[in-house]
Amino acid sequence: MISQLLDIVTSAAILYAIAVGLLLVFGVLKIINFAHGGLMTLGGYAALVTTQFGLNPWLAIPAAALVGAVVGMVIERVVVRPLYVRPLDAILATWGLGIIIGQLITIGFGRGVQFVQSPLSGTLEILGEGYSQYRLVLVLIAAALGLALSLLLHGTRLGLDTRAVIMNEDLARGLGINSTLVRFITFAIGSGLAAVAGALITPLSSVDPNMGVPWLVNAFMLVLVSGASLVSLLVACLVLGGAQVLISSLVSPVLGGITIAVLAAIILRVRPAGFARG
Amino acid sequence: MAEAAGAQGAAITRRGVPIPLLVLLAAIIAVAAGPYVLDTYSVNVLVRSLFYAAVALTVDLLWGYLGILTFGQSAFFGIGAYAVGLISTHVGFTPGLAALSLLAGIAASMLVAGIVGWLAFFYGASALYASVISLVLPIVVVQLLFAGGNFTGSSSGLSGFDSFDDVSVETWFWIAGAFLIVVAGCAWRFVASDAGRVLIAVRENEQRCQYLGLDTPRLKIIAFVATAAICAAAGYGFACYTTVVSPEQAGFVFGTELVIWVALGGRGTILGPVLGAVLIDYESAQLSGDYPFVWQLIIGSVFVAVIVLFPRGLLPLIGDALRYIGPKVRPAVPPELVELPMHVVAGTTGPALAIHGVAKHFGSLKVLDGIDVSAAAGELVSLVGPNGAGKTTLIRCIADGSERSAGRVAINGHEIGGMSPDRCVRLGVGRKFQMANVFDTLTVAECLQMARIRHGFPSVLRRASRIGLPRPALHVIRTTGLDHALMTPARLLSHGMKQALELAMVLALEPSVLLLDEPTAGLTKAERTLIGGILVDLAATERLCIVLVEHDLDFVREISSRVIVLHQGRIVLDGSVDDVVNSDLVKQVYAGGGHGVGAAA
Repeated sequence: MISQLLDIVTSAAILYAIAVGLLLVFGVLKIINFAHGGLMTLGGYAALVTTQFGLNPWLAIPAAALVGAVVGMVIERVVVRPLYVRPLDAILATWGLGIIIGQLITIGFGRGVQFVQSPLSGTLEILGEGYSQYRLVLVLIAAALGLALSLLLHGTRLGLDTRAVIMNEDLARGLGINSTLVRFITFAIGSGLAAVAGALITPLSSVDPNMGVPWLVNAFMLVLVSGASLVSLLVACLVLGGAQVLISSLVSPVLGGITIAVLAAIILRVRPAGFARG
Repeated sequence: MAEAAGAQGAAITRRGVPIPLLVLLAAIIAVAAGPYVLDTYSVNVLVRSLFYAAVALTVDLLWGYLGILTFGQSAFFGIGAYAVGLISTHVGFTPGLAALSLLAGIAASMLVAGIVGWLAFFYGASALYASVISLVLPIVVVQLLFAGGNFTGSSSGLSGFDSFDDVSVETWFWIAGAFLIVVAGCAWRFVASDAGRVLIAVRENEQRCQYLGLDTPRLKIIAFVATAAICAAAGYGFACYTTVVSPEQAGFVFGTELVIWVALGGRGTILGPVLGAVLIDYESAQLSGDYPFVWQLIIGSVFVAVIVLFPRGLLPLIGDALRYIGPKVRPAVPPELVELPMHVVAGTTGPALAIHGVAKHFGSLKVLDGIDVSAAAGELVSLVGPNGAGKTTLIRCIADGSERSAGRVAINGHEIGGMSPDRCVRLGVGRKFQMANVFDTLTVAECLQMARIRHGFPSVLRRASRIGLPRPALHVIRTTGLDHALMTPARLLSHGMKQALELAMVLALEPSVLLLDEPTAGLTKAERTLIGGILVDLAATERLCIVLVEHDLDFVREISSRVIVLHQGRIVLDGSVDDVVNSDLVKQVYAGGGHGVGAAA
């Protein structure tokens, strides 16, 4: 019972960490970044390289953020920017980028599965049950990411500009906000967050050149039902992630794997605004 | 894209042979001769490529023509394959069962397409949402196949089941080739027909289609279901040929590969996706053994480059080059415009338009509040008021049942309830938008044809040589000279001509309540007088009830039989032109005095 509850909370935290970068990009650029899975993979391999150099495994997180943000900047400038007016084409181009990233990693690191040293091992006793310390720490990290983003959006000039672009880009541009720059920075931050998410999940499983792809669709669906709000994303992760954990353990893991996608599709059909207030 | 598709239909060689016929002949020869000139390995691979190409064509029809980016066609291919795999493995394989499994596969995939279509396409759904649903479909199908245990063979699938064992590889090549030629031939015929134009019209401007009375979600569901059947048939053929079915055949990686082939070959053309699928899949088989990752990397890089730089794909580029140096396109003959006899509408005694207590809120903001209007046939009612008074919102509430927050709207005595715009059109509403809203890539004639779609769905085989239009629409076309520009793409028209074309399109609907949102915005003085004369004439002779949003008070004074003044979401005056012109209240409203008005009203 306790462990199931913790599973729900930690799964929601993992989903939140993965989806938050996608949400930011979707809110500002109004496109779904299909390279998100590829960028997560990149973060996983950044973690692998960090630990292979014998560095502290916690350094994997800033390393992944840096790699993701830099690659994100290049992608935004070269591929995404010309496609602002063609959102469906942006999906395709970013999907193609995901393929390119996956193949480059395969060429560089081989297609095999590799394991990354976990920064924290062992369990923590909670009400008499042992639970993975790392998964618990992930909840704190996800919360920190969410709080940092809220502070960025609500406490800085950049955040104000970004929120203005999210609400009404034409008006924002009319008021002298450089929306191109806002988009550029947002995409870089979103990419950095994707890579961080990739680095965060590697100790739980392993790295391989396609590790990001299975997470991709669930992350999209969570973003679509959340609109562009960090709070409704949290609600969506808890509700749908919770449903996934319950169905996986009570019914079948295979059906659990499609729970988020199917539930989100039905929610959007019945209520197109999803969990967002609208 | 549309021009490429249109030019396909009209292109001929110097000797007058249509180019598509030459392509068809070349394809037949290539398929017939293939097994004699190619080695067995190539023939083997190409059977697969030919089946895949047929599936890629369905992606092209949905995405290139109709504008639905779909990643889910692989699911239908997989369903068709698994139908024969499952029946042959668990029941057996006789000629009767072979036919049954084909039909079962097609029926199952059409059923799934219907359900997914209902989920993905509804009034107000975004294109992105439909794409994501199409991405979820193959993932769900694959997970269900995994969950099927021994019945579906789980992750390894089913193999070695009985099939048409005595059919040689060469024969399979001919079967797959013939299947592809038939699918491509039908697809070409279809997209070149009037019905094919409808797909392009929906892609170009779905909103205008809905306001022309077309139920676009239903059209999309039908197209989705029909293409699902083709995919299932291809999957059936492929499974019978390989006697292997596996979850990858239904997976989303294959679904995205299909999109890549179509994008590279040329969406919105028939030949491009076929060539893209056959060449890339064939080359993949040849090269992926030696350089698997490099090959994928090249495909991925070329794909991104093509999407960014040449969104139409590679074939249209070659086509443009050939057209530049090659055969001239024969100018197409414009269709003839014919006047239709007027329908005499059974005389209703009530008002043509009745609005009771209509309100529109955004949260606590009231844009419209307590609007009561009743207008009879033959009236020309002008809605005036300063910016933000709620004029356009009121027009929207009449033309779309889902817009208002409260109140009732009835057209000719029929409540619109929560009807979508296409159903309001069927009650007799015709709406002209503020910005000229036409189909940019279609010709004037095709735009007019689209406007007649609710009076009879166009042919799926041919182009009509005549367009029947009601007298008022013809009158607008002739007086503005649009009848001399029938073959001109609408985007090349001047602003005034576009406005006139849209008015003609709306009149072609034979509406009884005509809603016009600033029909003279941006027009010259002469054009304005012309439109004004036409409107007065329509109200007088055709007994139309016309509701007009207008800023130009001189224009309003000249043509209106009645004026309604809106201010801050309420009706402040409803009376004759003289009432309004002499009203101090109206002067106050337009002078911008917000305070005095509340007290005066």
